Amino acid sequence: MKTLTLSLLLAATAVPAFATELTVWDWKSGDPLAAPYYQKAKEVFEAAHPGDTVTYVMQPNDQYYTLLGTALASDGGPDLFLLNGGAQARARFENAVKLDDKIGDMKADLAGLPEFSDANGIYAIPLTIQGFVVYYNKALYTAAGLDPNTPPKSWDDLSKICAAFVAQGTVPCIALGNKEGFGMEFWFSAIAASLWTPQEQADFAAGKLAWSSPQVLAVLQSWIDANAAGWFPKGANSTAKFMDEYEGFMRGESANTIGLISDVAHWKSFDEMLGAENLGVFLLPAPGGMAAKIPAAGGIGYAVNAKSPNVDLAVEFAKTLAAPEVLQVFFNDAGAVTANTKMDTSAVTSPAAKTIFGWLASDVVPMAHTNATAQELEEIHRQSQLLLNGETTVAEAAAAMDVVAKAARQ
Amino acid sequence: MANRSEQRIAILFVLPAVALVAVFRMFPLAWGFLLSFTSGDGAGGAKFVGLDNYRALTTDAAFHDSLINTLILLATLPIWVMLPLLLAILIHQGVPGGKLFRAVYFFPAVLSAVIIGSIFNVVLRYDGSLNAALKSVGIEAVDWLGQGATALACLITVQLWATFGMSVLIFMAGLSTVSSELVEAARLDGAKPAQIWWHVILPAMRPILEFVAVVTTIGVLTSMFGLIYVLTAGGPGTATTLPEFLIWMEQGKMNRPGYAAAISMVLFVGMAGLAFVQIRIMSRNANT
Repeated sequence: MKTLTLSLLLAATAVPAFATELTVWDWKSGDPLAAPYYQKAKEVFEAAHPGDTVTYVMQPNDQYYTLLGTALASDGGPDLFLLNGGAQARARFENAVKLDDKIGDMKADLAGLPEFSDANGIYAIPLTIQGFVVYYNKALYTAAGLDPNTPPKSWDDLSKICAAFVAQGTVPCIALGNKEGFGMEFWFSAIAASLWTPQEQADFAAGKLAWSSPQVLAVLQSWIDANAAGWFPKGANSTAKFMDEYEGFMRGESANTIGLISDVAHWKSFDEMLGAENLGVFLLPAPGGMAAKIPAAGGIGYAVNAKSPNVDLAVEFAKTLAAPEVLQVFFNDAGAVTANTKMDTSAVTSPAAKTIFGWLASDVVPMAHTNATAQELEEIHRQSQLLLNGETTVAEAAAAMDVVAKAARQ
Repeated sequence: MANRSEQRIAILFVLPAVALVAVFRMFPLAWGFLLSFTSGDGAGGAKFVGLDNYRALTTDAAFHDSLINTLILLATLPIWVMLPLLLAILIHQGVPGGKLFRAVYFFPAVLSAVIIGSIFNVVLRYDGSLNAALKSVGIEAVDWLGQGATALACLITVQLWATFGMSVLIFMAGLSTVSSELVEAARLDGAKPAQIWWHVILPAMRPILEFVAVVTTIGVLTSMFGLIYVLTAGGPGTATTLPEFLIWMEQGKMNRPGYAAAISMVLFVGMAGLAFVQIRIMSRNANT
């Protein structure tokens, strides 16, 4: 009995008097590819802070922001919470700790900060960079009589390539899943990246570039032109982008697909299914002959709850999550393109990944759709489906978008 | 004294039920009602905006489309009632294999909307089995779920397939309660089978018919979310968007709980009105 009492006493004194449990909300920590990264971050942090613990709470993806909003509104919620960069992040800045003076030691190493900042400062630490590129199946290019090592550089080049696939009639030129309207999101940002000037991108983000402006109309027109030319498969409106479109691409059922650069539907998963030597990548050109650019932005990042009683410790853990040695696990396992530029990517062997990293080091432009409001995104999902079906015109769709944008941006 | 004591006991017996209704029905309803007068995404605290959410509904094209879709859905109500009745009559008449048909009809009722949606996704998608069958006989494939002209009809048909078995069972139960003496008396009076059905059995079945009509109306307006979510996601455009799906979109995807609550209130008032009319008709018929 004495031994037991002594043991309990020793155990109690071994834990610091102010041991803290940090609660972290996300929608990814249970994902098999992301789990080792989250475990690594927890281990590194808990080793550096004996007695303090980290608890991940994975919320359902489609209800995440509703649950988070409710928790934050009740002055509760987690110590840290994961955010998508852009509009979703900005909507939560009022609940987040301003981090400018807390991450001074790593700020210079972080890409993707604009999506987690506003004019007042930085409110979240980005983990990943997300962007859109076009992946293509080299074997299908060869079968269509095309040079698999000469991807299109202009809209004319792309038109010729797609004309070859349309003439052959075996596989669609560009895979498209638009059941939820995500196909349009990807197309919109990829075309706008190569079509718009930096000022036009900034004006769209600020709501000054109307949907009925010539610049946006050109993007919408390219959508129906591509469809009218037979580039997209039939049935796109009843095909889910995640993952029906990508599973079809990986089965060799389409020549090209607009995919992501990080996390899912990206070079790593396509390399594994098609073979790295059989996967090519290019940037979607836009009508007009301008040089194609890569649309990329801060993907996901962690904010610290302003109402957390453990702000300093939570900031420490957010920095741990964004540390190069921890993110290396995320990169190795999930192919996540991380926001910390100090992370070593030299070991990557994927030709597609190397090409993408080269683009990221040069001319990166915004992902236009992330600067639209949630209401605008929902409406463009709907309008894009009607455009594919020929149930509306570009002018009508743009007018409907202007109405929604005006109400949403009031 | 005895009366007062009995009253107390009666109140005690009723209290749990009243408490459950108050906590799980009335309180959320009142909360939703108050929420519909607020704005914000929930993160910065709700702000009182008066009738702004209801005013916004008057110019919301998606909401208007969802109401039109609801009216189309309600217009199909006779099919939802008469088809199961017809099938129940056939089984009741003792068609060969009646027991098998009864089980087969009821089987979809035990499947969840997600499973049914997944099954029909495979059947109805552009490269699905229905189009494969059509192509095999030389008919061009149709994007059943991706075109405005067919998507809602497909959704209604799938929901009907999934739920009509329950109505068949209810009608069969109703048919078994029709007095055999009445039917026999009519037959002895020289009535033909069709006359017996029209003048004897159907009048006796009227309360059951009305019950099925009420339950089906409420069901189709409040239980199609899962199917819409899996099959069409409300599209193309707003072709298959119903108010309940719009509520989820506004609440779950656009973080506008106040606006979602306003749509909920409109749906609640509409359904309550519809149910009230139907129940009044049932009561009137019961008293005649």
